[in-house]
Amino acid sequence: MTGFILRRLLSITVTFFIVSLLIFLAMHSIPGGPFDGGDMPMPEAVRATLMERYGLDQPLYVQYAKYMWGVLHLDFGIPFQSPGETVLELIGRAWVPSLVLGGLGVLIGAPLGILLGMAAALNRNSWIDYLASAFATLGLTIPVFVTSMGLILIFAVWLNWFPASGWPEPEKWVLPIAAYATIPLATYARYTRSAMLDTLNRPFVTVLRAKGLSERRIIFQHVLRNAALPMVTVFLPMFIGTATGSIFVEAMFRVPGMGAYFVSSIRTRDYPLEMALMLMLTVMFCLAYLISDILYAWLNPRIRFGGRKG
Amino acid sequence: MTAALELRAISKVYQLRSGGGLFARYADHVAVRDVSLAVPRNGIVGLVGESGSGKTTVGMMALRLTEPTSGQILIGGDDVTRLGPAALKPYRRRVQVVFQDSYSALDPMFTLAQIVAEPLHVHGVGTATDQTGQALDWLERVGLHRSYGQRYPHELSGGQRQRVAIARALILRPDVLVADEPTSALDVSVKAQIINLLQDLQAEMGLSILFISHDLSVVRSLTDTVAVMWAGRVVEQAPTEAIFAGARHPYTRALLDAIPVTNPALRHQRRFQTREELEQAAGGPGRLRELAPGHLVEVPA
Amino acid sequence: MRLVEIADLVVSFPQDEGVVQAVRGVSFHVDAGESLGIVGESGSGKSVTCMAALRLLREPPARISATALTLAGVAMLRASRRDLAAIRGKVAAMVFQDPMTAFDPVFTIGHQIAETIIAHQGGAKAAAMAQAETLLTRVEIKNPAAILRAYPHQLSGGMLQRAMIAMALSCRPQILIADEPTTALDVTVQAQILQLIKALQAELGMGLIMITHDLGVIAETVDRVVVMYGGKVMEQGPVAAIFDAPRHPYTVALLGSMPGAEPGRRRLVEIPGASPNPAQPPPGCPFHPRCPQADARCAAEMPPFRAIAPGRDAACWRLQ
Repeated sequence: MTGFILRRLLSITVTFFIVSLLIFLAMHSIPGGPFDGGDMPMPEAVRATLMERYGLDQPLYVQYAKYMWGVLHLDFGIPFQSPGETVLELIGRAWVPSLVLGGLGVLIGAPLGILLGMAAALNRNSWIDYLASAFATLGLTIPVFVTSMGLILIFAVWLNWFPASGWPEPEKWVLPIAAYATIPLATYARYTRSAMLDTLNRPFVTVLRAKGLSERRIIFQHVLRNAALPMVTVFLPMFIGTATGSIFVEAMFRVPGMGAYFVSSIRTRDYPLEMALMLMLTVMFCLAYLISDILYAWLNPRIRFGGRKG
Repeated sequence: MTAALELRAISKVYQLRSGGGLFARYADHVAVRDVSLAVPRNGIVGLVGESGSGKTTVGMMALRLTEPTSGQILIGGDDVTRLGPAALKPYRRRVQVVFQDSYSALDPMFTLAQIVAEPLHVHGVGTATDQTGQALDWLERVGLHRSYGQRYPHELSGGQRQRVAIARALILRPDVLVADEPTSALDVSVKAQIINLLQDLQAEMGLSILFISHDLSVVRSLTDTVAVMWAGRVVEQAPTEAIFAGARHPYTRALLDAIPVTNPALRHQRRFQTREELEQAAGGPGRLRELAPGHLVEVPA
Repeated sequence: MRLVEIADLVVSFPQDEGVVQAVRGVSFHVDAGESLGIVGESGSGKSVTCMAALRLLREPPARISATALTLAGVAMLRASRRDLAAIRGKVAAMVFQDPMTAFDPVFTIGHQIAETIIAHQGGAKAAAMAQAETLLTRVEIKNPAAILRAYPHQLSGGMLQRAMIAMALSCRPQILIADEPTTALDVTVQAQILQLIKALQAELGMGLIMITHDLGVIAETVDRVVVMYGGKVMEQGPVAAIFDAPRHPYTVALLGSMPGAEPGRRRLVEIPGASPNPAQPPPGCPFHPRCPQADARCAAEMPPFRAIAPGRDAACWRLQ
């Protein structure tokens, strides 16, 4: 196991550098720089000075080396679009709403999805099943900005139950959280349903019934535990994907989160911010998968306790 | 006279995770230790053992589907032990196989005619029309009507599918057929059909068969000589009836004792030994000694 | 009162291609302390019969009907879900074919035996585990304490089957149903397990139903045998009588086609053809397409199951 973890950490490091290089090259391959155009084109001399100040006149490999050297010291530079703070400070500031809303969205949506999936699996082919499955499919296929618009229209405009903006007061959080929750809910509903149906078909479930255990015990103690195993591994990556903010939800609900920056940093050629965001995502996902794998190995007795005793 | 198939002191050692759990090590697992076996032309040799005995691994090595760690495999006297895929191809025609699970042995997307003709196709024998014609001939030869050529595997019963597998194996007229538990998954009333079919084809074609099984009763009715494997090695080898008349090795005796006896009069009180007791009685790997003409038994080294 | 009473049991499964008639009118009984063997090939309906008796089939799609289906006096077809849970494991217990997939992989063996005990007898976990350990010793497991803590994937087939037997006997059932308990095991292990089952049955005075396709197993383990084919019972009688003098053509053919019965390499007596397809059973006697003695009546009408000698019944026009 130690060997496994060490190897993975090594490969994460390699991935990190490869991704950084690819992103860097991709960024700089888009024509135009951070100080071109805009509403008021600036005099060439000013632009040249700015480029020199930020080191953008240097050869690419020098820029890359300098930036990565900074990264290793946890210095991600200064965002061009907001030079009054460092990239880290910007991310620290902007991440809070995304983390809160997105995180709560997953933490609420996933359990609801599991319950929905269970209901569907246990009432297979009944109207509950069809309704739950339809709901889950819609959740996955309707784009999140449409869902957000729908939520605003129904609950903010027609029913006037909740405000249409999502930050900062907690009572404003309900709708954006609902928007964020749709995908985890739908994903877990489908996952749970199929995992439970798979488990229910396995021979040991018939044996449990033959032993005279109550149906409730069979479902909650045995079937759920077996079905849950693969679902555990999906959670962390899903959490990271959602808790880094969706540009659509944040735009719809006017939330000052991180989602917008993913797109804007590319548009405005804000290299330091762009690099930092991408690298952050890379590392978080890699770690999420690593932790998920370790968790799965820990929970699965077949992997945790190998070997024969008799 | 050269044997159709000969295995000389073959062994197979695997590197397996041992200990277990999250922190594992690797250890050597000897699946097959020093097995020598010869299948004469026109003969049927049985290889008997339970799960873990190594008998299937021996079969895989005979077919060169896996390479022995040491030892030699000879087909018709030629050493094929270390040949590469290209050099091996002509030998593939001479040694064919039938497996236990006929359902997964036949590709469900192909018709029976296509399945049976495939070996001809692979080895470039005849035109497409010839191939189909021969395939249908062979379907008839194994007891299925020619019209079955258009059918698909899932439409057949287990016994019928096994017949198709046999037709496919024999269409190239191999010298040796390795049959790995071909009747184990079949119903009792169908086992007899397949055993008879194998015997008939063997007599017609002068085929040599290596018949791998855990079922001594089937082996009794089909084979000339039997080799009994246990824990990766051959512990007894003799003409079939000699084994049944008087087995010498404790494991062989345990196997024979375990066969349920249908005639109540012949039943006697048997003590069934546990694996530990057997290991005690048999001891560690020894060497084979000829205790009677043609009757080899493993004795302590 | 008979321990097990089954009369005219019919089990069918409607499917897209048609109705699969797995069991088409089966009747037999078992008395206390008696052992009955049900022998048949795949598709004969032998397993479905016993699964239906314990109501372990999913209904729907399965459809079960019978004029009588009682276990220890309880009418199984009229029992509620709660009653069924109380009966299964306590009145009648079952041992299944493949021990490797019969246990929940995420719990230890001890936990799974103990939960059966607690479900039927209540009590604390510690007491149940102690009882489980005693049971494991009873089924001849050498190191029961370690096995209690082991997970299913860590044990061999033979050990798991012994553990499953221990689990089935944990609440001292009156009836033990063993569905091909040794088919997935090695021959040497099989012999030990059968001997164990027989000894435990005698010791606990249970009724035993042993389902198998292996005639040898039947001969060694039970007093009476029921021969099933194509969803119906062909012949029934004491084991010695059936083997010495089989009457029904199917039984005769089956015994005749067993390999290894006689010494030497030989051609065996075959039964031509294949078992009937449960989705399209032939009219009349299910065996008639393969029977050397079949005539027009056999092909048209199903023969009634009637006594042909004291204690022996058969369903065959030729025998009446």
